[in-house]
Amino acid sequence: VRCQHYPPLRALQASAVLGRVSDEHKKEPLTSSSQQHFDSHPAGHQPEEEPQGPRPSYTGQGGQESEDYESEEQLQHRILTAALEFVPEHGWTAEAIAEGAKTLGLSVAAAGMFHSDGSELILHFVSECNTKLSELLEKEQKLVQLGKAEKKPVDEFLRDAVEARLRMLIPYIEKWPQALSVLLLPRNIPSSLNLLSSMIDDIWHYAGDQSTDFNWYTRRAVLTGIYNTTELVMMQDSSPDFEDTWRFLHNRVADAMNMSSTASQVQSTGEAVVQGLMGAAVTVSNAETSRALR
Amino acid sequence: RALAAGPEMHFGFQTVTEAERREKIYQVFESVAKKYDVMNDSMTLGIHRVWKDILMHKMNPSPGTLLLDVAGGTGDIAFRFINYVRSVREHQLQRKLKHHQNLSWQEIFESYQKDKSNSLGDSQVVVCDINREMLKVGKQKAQHLGYSEGLSWVLGNAEELPFDDDKFDVYTIAFGIRNVTRIDLALQEAYRVLKPGGRFLCLEFSHVSNPLLSRLYDLYSFQVIPVLGEVIAGDWKSYQYLVESIRRFPPQEELKAMIEDAGFFKVDYENLNFGIVAIHSGFKL
Repeated sequence: VRCQHYPPLRALQASAVLGRVSDEHKKEPLTSSSQQHFDSHPAGHQPEEEPQGPRPSYTGQGGQESEDYESEEQLQHRILTAALEFVPEHGWTAEAIAEGAKTLGLSVAAAGMFHSDGSELILHFVSECNTKLSELLEKEQKLVQLGKAEKKPVDEFLRDAVEARLRMLIPYIEKWPQALSVLLLPRNIPSSLNLLSSMIDDIWHYAGDQSTDFNWYTRRAVLTGIYNTTELVMMQDSSPDFEDTWRFLHNRVADAMNMSSTASQVQSTGEAVVQGLMGAAVTVSNAETSRALR
Repeated sequence: RALAAGPEMHFGFQTVTEAERREKIYQVFESVAKKYDVMNDSMTLGIHRVWKDILMHKMNPSPGTLLLDVAGGTGDIAFRFINYVRSVREHQLQRKLKHHQNLSWQEIFESYQKDKSNSLGDSQVVVCDINREMLKVGKQKAQHLGYSEGLSWVLGNAEELPFDDDKFDVYTIAFGIRNVTRIDLALQEAYRVLKPGGRFLCLEFSHVSNPLLSRLYDLYSFQVIPVLGEVIAGDWKSYQYLVESIRRFPPQEELKAMIEDAGFFKVDYENLNFGIVAIHSGFKL
């Protein structure tokens, strides 16, 4: 009986390792993440670092299994990342995923692992962009700490961060409206909201937001509003290098800065009004008391 | 592999040896082959067509897919596959033409010609069955319905497929795995002939857990179906076997475990009609 399967270690979580390497596996330069996993159990989730250049191909030879992967989730990540380059042509669809799988040497049927509406592909892309943004902000912060760069004022920081993040959409901008509508499907809303809010959180964190009070919520709400509206403007922008969008962004951030100073003005005015009322009440009660005593 | 009076196996509710079982099952399908489709329609009140459509939708094949349909007998899955791929291909071509708005008429005409001759986009389906009679009926149907391109018919045993390793994108077995004597071997063969990343799909009668429905289903199965078999196909015994074999077949979770044992990943199942039928899916990763 020809029995050519290797007893697999069942991978239930992303941290389990499945070591199944064929004899004829080509010793190509593995991606850095695969190298680590191959030798030891990864502690938990590792950020996917996919090389942006030509991918090592995993085409099989003869009848041997030719992949080397660590768990189902990580393989899925690799497929989705490979699929991104086909999005401009095929959109955020199962077709793009199938093409991506093909470049990894897998059958097109592997796209069946994902939803046919491309949700996972879009969420994967958003998550990757957010990670890239975090890394960018982290690097900038280091430069400031080392004294090699000036600390930006808050409004400039926000503008630059949002612009950097939105620029990542440019290669896919034609199909992005489709992606936005998929992200709004009820099924996807929890994940997409989660990704959005953690990105906004990140930006404020690097902007130096230390607040632990009511301001924390207002700041996030305001920045989310700025980000979403700018994103929508960008979809319809046809100016060279999206300069209209950046101008819009500049204005919205300026508005937000003004609004916050207005808000504190309102607050102090409010306090003043309350104090006035209190004073008036005390005066009136004093007057009553003194009249009663007369 | 000893085929002589081997271990005890079940044939419906009877107990037979392995060799006897293979022989008996071959005879069952030999005798029902001509009335197979008619019986399917009358037993399931036509719902089997919906089940097979759902299977095809789940597969969602893209043009260029190579499908192996095992125990595919009369070609139901194969024909659906061809239809599906053809329509996907048409959509693709339409989209391509929309993209090429600024080509000259000559260029559009040429690309249209080239693509028209490739209406299936290089997709192919191989129908494999152990039973000559079933294949014969299938081939006749194909001719009758006008399917010729991208279709091949191969005589073969699911437990020992006559194909090389790593050949196919998708392997399907619809209402066939129940009749395989050594299911584990069939699953191993499925694993072997699939490409890395390839998908295993199994459509089969399964276990109804809802007690009320289960009673009704049993009633229908044991009282109505063999009678239909006698009336329509003149063959009570074969349909008695059919109904019994469904009861003897492992339920959803057990089949899932068997598929995982063969090496497949992301194994999952979807119940149709409360578990009367289930689609199991796994990937060769």
